[in-house]
Amino acid sequence: MPMELQEKLKILADSAKYDASCSSSGSKRVNNNGVGNTAVSGICHSFSSDGRCISLLKILLTNSCIYDCKYCLNRKSNNVRRAMFTPEEICRITINFYRRNYIEGLFLSSGIIKSPDYTMELLIETILLLRNKYHFNGYIHAKAIPGASELLLKKLGSIVDRLSANVELPTENGLKLLAPNKEGKKVDKIMNYVKDNHSRKFVPAGQSTQMIIGATKESDLDIMSKSSNMYDKYNLKRVFYSAYIPVNKDNLLPNLVTPPLVRENRLYQADWLLRFYNFKVDDLLNESNPNFNVLVDPKTDWALRHLDEFPKEINSCSYYELLKIPGVGVKSAKRIISSRRQFTIELSDLKRMGVVLKRAKYFILCNGKYFTNSAFFKKNFIEANIIIEDHEKISINKEQLRLF
Amino acid sequence: MDKVYLYDGSFVGLLNLIMELIKMNERPYNIKDELYSSSLFETLINFDIPWDDNILKNMRLSFGKYALDVIYYVFLSEENNKELIIYYFVLNALKFHKNIVYRRDLKCVSEALRISQYVIHEGHKMKGFLRFKELENKVLYAEIEPTNDVILLVSDHFKKRLCNEYWIIRDVKRGLLSIYNKKKYIVVLEENFTFSTLNLSEEEKEMESLWKVFYKTIGIDARRNDRCRRNFMPKKYWKYILEVEDEL
Repeated sequence: MPMELQEKLKILADSAKYDASCSSSGSKRVNNNGVGNTAVSGICHSFSSDGRCISLLKILLTNSCIYDCKYCLNRKSNNVRRAMFTPEEICRITINFYRRNYIEGLFLSSGIIKSPDYTMELLIETILLLRNKYHFNGYIHAKAIPGASELLLKKLGSIVDRLSANVELPTENGLKLLAPNKEGKKVDKIMNYVKDNHSRKFVPAGQSTQMIIGATKESDLDIMSKSSNMYDKYNLKRVFYSAYIPVNKDNLLPNLVTPPLVRENRLYQADWLLRFYNFKVDDLLNESNPNFNVLVDPKTDWALRHLDEFPKEINSCSYYELLKIPGVGVKSAKRIISSRRQFTIELSDLKRMGVVLKRAKYFILCNGKYFTNSAFFKKNFIEANIIIEDHEKISINKEQLRLF
Repeated sequence: MDKVYLYDGSFVGLLNLIMELIKMNERPYNIKDELYSSSLFETLINFDIPWDDNILKNMRLSFGKYALDVIYYVFLSEENNKELIIYYFVLNALKFHKNIVYRRDLKCVSEALRISQYVIHEGHKMKGFLRFKELENKVLYAEIEPTNDVILLVSDHFKKRLCNEYWIIRDVKRGLLSIYNKKKYIVVLEENFTFSTLNLSEEEKEMESLWKVFYKTIGIDARRNDRCRRNFMPKKYWKYILEVEDEL
């Protein structure tokens, strides 16, 4: 008896859920008298029990796989139930979910069956059906299969909004250890091709990738260097970090009780600093200091180590200096710039501009004034205060902190 | 007695009244729509104002599009004193023109910007959280209960996205229906409309249960975080969100 659709969905969503990518932004596909369009800003349709955004129907075409990556639920040697969607089934669910506004589009990945080319052809067949027969104009994010031919990559890229290939681990050594069937250079090849051919018609929303955090011994410095390198080299839109969650038992894998969520959070914070705040990796980490401080966020940590550059005067320092102040974001920095052309900013105005004063106050002067007696502008005082203020948050995460 | 000026409830009506009050050099105690019932010490004033049909265009020229958008979004909000905030915003905009939106040192400006952000934000959230059900006549039907009056923002979105569907969106709290006929949508009071059917289509149940299965499956138990979920998806919306309504 064929497997019920519901059962298939359960298996193939369950095996897709460890991919962190959820964005549906960056594409301007218009509704050409068919079904749907895309929103440039992206839209979150729901949030799962773990607090992550759901915007795409995230599924695998099949969870059968010829590879045996140690960390992966779907590895060949695992005794799990296998299932496979037909292209028609995927189209029917996608269109019906989309019409009811459950989703922004489809995220389609797959285990490798037979060969990379064969798997990629199946993905293309499914997406072509969705685009041509069902006239679907919503967002599609597809996984490119490393090792598949360039011709197939070209075909797939011209019918999706985003392509991604996961580097999985920050170093080739890690990959050799845990994913012996995968080669970093095959992923590089995909990213290179997408970068060179990127246009409004080819992968309009750009490419992204993902790394697993904490499955191997790499430091935060290794991870951030890899990210920074990829952002520069391939114009990636995003690197996603996925805290390693033990789904398999293996001597090669660490024995974690809970996933390293605080570390994952620090990496995302630092990733933002690289992309929007003009920071470089060696501002944040170096060989003698290769991992992030778990007690304070990377920007505050940097500011505390460079206290000689502070306090900064809000009314006169440059945009890039504003960005370096803990508690000031891209939006609030822009607001400060446009406002101070009109009037002199006082401490009381800052909150209305979206500045997190609780954090920023230690590092700024407003119209020449420090928020308290300037004798307190000392590293020990500021650090202690910030840690106490964050204490509540830390005590919640205490369980996770023990891991480091 | 505190003078409360009344307007007809429309955006253009409010702006015309405000311009007239400014011309009269009158500082109102408050401005409210005609349905307002006064409290002690308040006197309601409803007078015929000169009507300028081009007021939106003129304001756009003088204050800039951004500022006019801000005023409009404040108007759509449920803020108690929104009319008074708009009054002071306009009063200052006559002085600062296009720079008005940068004057966050003025309370009326920082408040207006905050409120308009909130309205835009809620409109955006509704575009994601709204759930259609397919009726037996294939019409898609959704109920929402947003804090602010965002039915127009939401309708504009679905007019583009689901242009080949018949759909109806109901704002339960305000008793409004937005009805789309594959060409355009109109917003009507629900007492002026009768549904031919509210029975669900045959496929509806199956799709709903598939979606619920997907939703339950996609969450990672080892990362469970209810607080984070509630922050992004506030409980006040859950009643109309299919996949979490059972958890209420």
